[in-house]
Amino acid sequence: MNHDIDVKKTRINCFRQSKVPGEFMLQLRVPGALIDAKHLSLVQELCQTYGNGTFHIGMRQTLNVPGIKYENIPAVNAKIKEYIQDVDVEMCDCDMEADDKGYPTIGARNVMACIGNSHCIKANANTHELAKKIEKLIFPSHYHIKVSVAGCPNDCAKGNFNDFGVMGIFKMVYDANRCIGCGACAKACLHHATGVLSLNDHGKIDKDTCCCVGCGECVIACPTGGWTRGNTHLYRVTLGGRTGKQYPRMGKLFLNWVTEDVVLGMFANWQKFSAWVMDYKPEYLHGGHLIDRAGYMKFKEMILDGVELNPEAKVADELYWTEAEQRANIHVKPISQHHKAGPQ
Amino acid sequence: MNNPVKPVPCKILEVKQESKHEYTFKVESDIKPSHGQFLQLSIPKVGEAPISVSAYGDGWMDFTIRSVGKVTDEIFKKEAGDTLFLRGAYGKGWPVEEQFKGKNMVLIVGGTGLAPVRSMLRLFAENPGYVESVTLIAGFKNEEGIVFRNELESWRDKFNCIYTLDRDKIDNWEVGFVTQFVSKVPFKDFGDNYEVVIVGPPPMMKFTAIEAMKCGVPEEKIWVSYERKMSCAIGKCGHCRIDETYVCLEGPVFNYTKAKYLVD
Amino acid sequence: MGYKVSFEEANQIFAELSSEYEIWAPKRFPGKGRYSDTDIIRYDKVKTVEEIVFDEKSDFPAKEVLSPITEPLFYFTEDEWRESKVTSKKIMIFMRPCDIAAQHRQERIYLGNGGFNDMYYERMHEKVKIVMMQCDLDDDTCFCVSMGTNKTDDYSLAVVCQDGALKVEVKDETFAPYFEGKTAEDYTPSFPTENKTKVKIPEIPNKEVLTKLKSHPMWEEYNKRCISCGSCTVACSTCTCFTTTDIAYNENGSVGERRRTSASCQIEGFTDMAGGHSFRNTAGDRMRYKVLHKFHDYKERFKDYHMCVGCGRCISRCPEFISITATVDKMNKAIAEIVAEENK
Repeated sequence: MNHDIDVKKTRINCFRQSKVPGEFMLQLRVPGALIDAKHLSLVQELCQTYGNGTFHIGMRQTLNVPGIKYENIPAVNAKIKEYIQDVDVEMCDCDMEADDKGYPTIGARNVMACIGNSHCIKANANTHELAKKIEKLIFPSHYHIKVSVAGCPNDCAKGNFNDFGVMGIFKMVYDANRCIGCGACAKACLHHATGVLSLNDHGKIDKDTCCCVGCGECVIACPTGGWTRGNTHLYRVTLGGRTGKQYPRMGKLFLNWVTEDVVLGMFANWQKFSAWVMDYKPEYLHGGHLIDRAGYMKFKEMILDGVELNPEAKVADELYWTEAEQRANIHVKPISQHHKAGPQ
Repeated sequence: MNNPVKPVPCKILEVKQESKHEYTFKVESDIKPSHGQFLQLSIPKVGEAPISVSAYGDGWMDFTIRSVGKVTDEIFKKEAGDTLFLRGAYGKGWPVEEQFKGKNMVLIVGGTGLAPVRSMLRLFAENPGYVESVTLIAGFKNEEGIVFRNELESWRDKFNCIYTLDRDKIDNWEVGFVTQFVSKVPFKDFGDNYEVVIVGPPPMMKFTAIEAMKCGVPEEKIWVSYERKMSCAIGKCGHCRIDETYVCLEGPVFNYTKAKYLVD
Repeated sequence: MGYKVSFEEANQIFAELSSEYEIWAPKRFPGKGRYSDTDIIRYDKVKTVEEIVFDEKSDFPAKEVLSPITEPLFYFTEDEWRESKVTSKKIMIFMRPCDIAAQHRQERIYLGNGGFNDMYYERMHEKVKIVMMQCDLDDDTCFCVSMGTNKTDDYSLAVVCQDGALKVEVKDETFAPYFEGKTAEDYTPSFPTENKTKVKIPEIPNKEVLTKLKSHPMWEEYNKRCISCGSCTVACSTCTCFTTTDIAYNENGSVGERRRTSASCQIEGFTDMAGGHSFRNTAGDRMRYKVLHKFHDYKERFKDYHMCVGCGRCISRCPEFISITATVDKMNKAIAEIVAEENK
C-alpha cells in the first residue's frame, strides 16, 4: 500500500495510528466518564460502518473505534460533530465550536472519573460535575495534561497515576452527644482507612486529626449520625503521578482540604504554566515532565497564582518525589542533555 | 421526685481477704436485704456494678467481690473508713422462709457462686433446726480460687460437706467437678422433703441441674441464681432481659421450671 | 375547635409559645445523611413552621427528645454530687400517630416496670405536650395499621400542613388563647387506614414453640447478612436500652459524671459481664432477640399490644437492606413449621 499520511496531524485530531497501514483508531472524549446512553448508538454505528466492527474501552475512559481507514476520517469527523457538540460544547461548556473537522486537539487528555456520589456509597464528591468544570478549563488546548477525579481517597479513578488526581473529601464532624460508643467508626477507620479513631474510657471517640484522610468511612459506619460530613465539599489533590517507560511514579499529596474554587483556580493556571515552561511552543510532552522541568517551587508559585486558598487548605511545602526508574541510572546524564525550563 | 438510681454513701467497716482475687467488704448500712438479693455498688467517676450480699446483720452487709473489672478493681483499693455508694437491695432472693424452712437443703456451688448463698448458709449454721439438714457441694478451680475457706472448714461440723478442686489435690478435698458428686447426695433418704440450690457459672448450673434430674430431682425442687450484665437493676436498661423476664426484677433467683426456658 | 393559620401566623404563635415551651419537631439536616449529599431528618428544636418536615418520615425517632442518646444522671465534684438538671420549659413535640404510640410503649418500661419509675424519663414526660402531625405518608416501610398504631387521641393539638397553611385542631383548651382571633375552620385529623405493607402478626402458642423458634435455622441467615451495627435499634422508636458509664473529666479524677448512653442489643458486647461471660454471640442470635422482643416478649410481659409500632425506621436505616416485615414473614413460616411438627 502506498500511503502518504501526516500521522502527527491525525494524532492531534484524536485518530491513533494502527499497526495496520492506513488504519486509525478514533478516541471519543467522555469527560467525567458519564454521558447520555443515547450516544452509544453512534459509537456502534461508527464501529460497524467505518471501523473493523470491534469496540475498545479506552484506558482513559474514551470510547474507541479501531480500524478506521484513513480515507474515511473526514466522514467520521462529520459524523461525530453532533457528539462533540453535545458532550464538549454543551455538557462541558468548552470554549469551542463543533465542526466537520473533528477534535481540534489531543493535548489535554480525557478527564477521567470514577462514578462518584451520583451512585457510589463511599464517594464524597460528584466527580462527573467536577470533571466537566475541569474539562472546560483545560480543553481544547495543545498542552498535555492528565487529570482524574475520584469520589474519595480510595482513588478507584487512579488519580495517583495522573498528573493531577483530585479526590473528594470532607472534614468530618463528631457529635459526642449522639455517640453510643459502639466503636464501629474506629473499626471502619482501621479496616478501610488510616486508623485515626479510638474508643476512649468515657465510651466516646478520640481522633488523631492529623492523619485523617477525610474519606467518610466513620460516617458510613455510624449508626446514630454521630459522625457527619462537614458543610463544605473539600478535595485533596495529588500531583505528578504517571506511568511510562522511563519514570513511573505515584503522585504526591500537593493540596489537602481545598475547596472546589481552589481546584478550579489551579486548573485555570495550567495553560499559563505549561506555556511558560515550554516557552510558548506546545510540544508533545507529558504534563508531569513540565513540573519536573520547572521544579516544584516554580510550579507551586505559578499554579497557585491568584488562587485564594480557603482557611482549611494545606499546600505541600516541598515535594520529595520517589520514582521507580524503569532502567537504573536513566536519569543520570551529561548536563548538556538536561531539560531546561523557561525562556530557551 | 424519687430517684431510684440515686446511691447512698456508706462507710466501709472492714476489709477481709478471702482468696487471692476475692475480698469481703463489710459496709455500714441499714438496708435489710433478703438472702440472695444484690445491690448496686459504685464509686463515683469509676462506675457501678451489681454485687450480691454475702452476709448481713444489724446495721451491716458483707459483699464478697472478685476483682474482674474497672469498678471492682477500684473497690479493691478501698480500706476501712472509706466510702462505697450503694443502692438496693434488688431482685428476688431465695424463698428461705416460704420453701426452704424445715427441709433437707442441698446446695451445689461453683466458685464465687458461693457468695449469693453464703448469707443463707450462715443462717442455717447459726440456727440449728431451721432446716432439717444441709448438704453442701462446693467446687473451685484451684486452691487459689477457694473463697470463704475458714467458713467452709467451720461448716464441716454442721453440714454434710463435699469440697472439691477441679484438678489439684489438697488434704480433705476431693478432685473433680461438682457435677461428679451430685449422685452422692442421698436424695432417697430425703423423701419429698428437700430443695436443691445450684449457683455458679452458666454451664455449671446447666449441667449440675441435668445431673440432679438424673438422680430423680424434679424441676420444681431446683433453684438457681443468674448473673447478667446490668446497668440499672430496676428494669429499665434492658441488659439483663431474657424473653419477658428481667433478671434484675424477677431474678436473680429462679425456680428451674422457669429457668429452663430462660434461653438468652 | 379548628383553625386555619398561615405560616406567618403559626410562626407568631411559635414565638408566643417559646417563653413557656421548647418546640421540637422533625427537621432536615442537609448533607448530614449516611452517604454524601444525602440529608438526614431528625428531631431538633424549631422556631418556625418552615423548619418542620411534614411530608417525609424522620430518619431518627422522637424518643431522642425525651431520652437523649447521651444523658447525664449525676455530677460529681470531689465528695459532693448532685442530679443532672433539665430544661425549665415545657416541651411541645410534633409527632405522628405511630410516634405517639411508641411513647406509650416506652412509658411502660420507664414508668412502672418492676415498680420503679425512672426519674429522668418521668421528669421529661411530665413536660410534654403532643402536637399530632396528621400522617398522610404511605411509605412502603410503614405498617402502622397492622400494628394498630395508626390512630390516637393522645394529643393536645393536631395539625395538617396543606396549601402553605396549617389546619389545627385545638383539643387541649390550654392552647385556645394562642388561637384567639385566628380564622376558624373545621378540622378533624384523619388517620392512615391502610398501608401498602401489611404484616401478619405472629402467634407463638406456648413456651415449647418459643424455645424451638429460638433455635430455628431461620436466624442463621442473619449471621451473614447483619453487620450488628445497631442502626435498627437507634432508629427504632420504641427501643429503650441504655448503658451507664462513669467518667472523670480531669486527670486527678476529682470531677466527673455518671451518664447513660443508648445501647443496642444488636452490637457485640451488649451482654458482656465483668469477668468474661457473654451471651448471644452471633448476629443471628441478636437479631432473634430483637425481633422476638418487638413481636412477642414485650407483649408477653405487659399484655395488650406488641412493642413494634410499625414505623419502619429500622428498615429505612438498615445499611444491609434487612427488612423487619420480611423477617416477621419468615418467622411466621418458621412458627407454622414448628407447630405442624408438634401436631404430627
